[in-house]
Amino acid sequence: MFTVAVALLIACGGAETPEPTPAPAPVAPATPETPTLTPEELKGSAENHTLVPSPVETQNALKAAGIETKLGSLIPERQFDLKQSDLDHIAIRTGVILSDMLLTVTTSEKPVLVDRLKSIRTGLASINGGPDIDAQLLNTIDRVTADAVTRDELLKEFDELSGAVIPELEFNGNARVVPLIQAGSWLGGANLVAKAVKEKGNPEGASSLLKQPAVVKYFLKYVKTEGAEKAPAQVTQKLDESLTTLDGLASKAEPFVAADIDKVIQVTDDVLALL
Amino acid sequence: MRTLVATAGGAALFTGLAWAGTREAESCLRAKVWEGYADGWGVRTLTATELASGKTRNYVVNLFKGNQYKIQTCGDDHVTNLDVLLYDQAGTVLARDTTTDRQPVVEFTPTETGSYYVVLYARELAKPEAGVAMAVVYK
Repeated sequence: MFTVAVALLIACGGAETPEPTPAPAPVAPATPETPTLTPEELKGSAENHTLVPSPVETQNALKAAGIETKLGSLIPERQFDLKQSDLDHIAIRTGVILSDMLLTVTTSEKPVLVDRLKSIRTGLASINGGPDIDAQLLNTIDRVTADAVTRDELLKEFDELSGAVIPELEFNGNARVVPLIQAGSWLGGANLVAKAVKEKGNPEGASSLLKQPAVVKYFLKYVKTEGAEKAPAQVTQKLDESLTTLDGLASKAEPFVAADIDKVIQVTDDVLALL
Repeated sequence: MRTLVATAGGAALFTGLAWAGTREAESCLRAKVWEGYADGWGVRTLTATELASGKTRNYVVNLFKGNQYKIQTCGDDHVTNLDVLLYDQAGTVLARDTTTDRQPVVEFTPTETGSYYVVLYARELAKPEAGVAMAVVYK
């Protein structure tokens, strides 16, 4: 109002007409407007195949939480059937081995590494991963056998394979396969994290690593989905029970205590023993 | 239908044949991800899709306290201005780019472990639809 009044006074006073100010050039605002998205819209429209942390990412977070343990040193020997079983079962097992491989790729002996690579190749072939990934894995096995690839290079390749390539494969249109591979990797990783935490006696430090209700609910959705390729009831029932228990633990408001860590180890051990 | 391609890192990788724009965006982003490995960034997820002008695409990600994250993107040649934003579960924007290009990046170090939403927003496209790719990398 005051500005307008002053402008009028100047105009009426017969002052010289100022040169017209050139219009300012358009400048992108420092903070452009944001899309308006309510929590409900975000939740309802979000794609969730990006949800699950990778095993190596989990190990990084474990280190940041002050738990300096190489998860690979806690991996037991596993004997999995990756050919004759149902697709669900093989997908979960392949995910477990993929996690084992990622956590040990820079430290394991060559024969152990080659065995794990062969198991991943067999598993992915059994669940219809396709000829391209099969050829890539065969090439990798050859390069490892011939010492033609460094372990750091291999870690990069498999980090990408796990996080970016496998989730984009179609597995003959079977939508359950990718989440079940992820479930296997995550369950194997959660089992190792819980064991590392128990070893170090730091249950509170693990709370943020193991409390992942959204991840657990994501897996539960796929375990509960019916399908022709579904694992035997014994496996899915145990997986359902274990994930439900983990979901309950993840929803605890208080930090984890030693008994909670024991529970995580027990339920994940139970599932892994059935695989 | 999938095909095998070679990346900057030399690894054999796979990509969808469905749409050239998506493939272009994905290829651009894979090269960036491989460059990031030299600085210690690992890849958590990489995905590519088509996006219509003015529309958003949302992804839920679980992020760990203690890790650093970077959300990298690439748009194809038809993208003039792509935005990337990170929201918390309450719908609050925690991080966003302020550039007017087709390869925006945001970095974020969570103070709490939990679920967050990555939102890609096709603010300005030269065509009604374009290919975009998004990767979450960590260290």
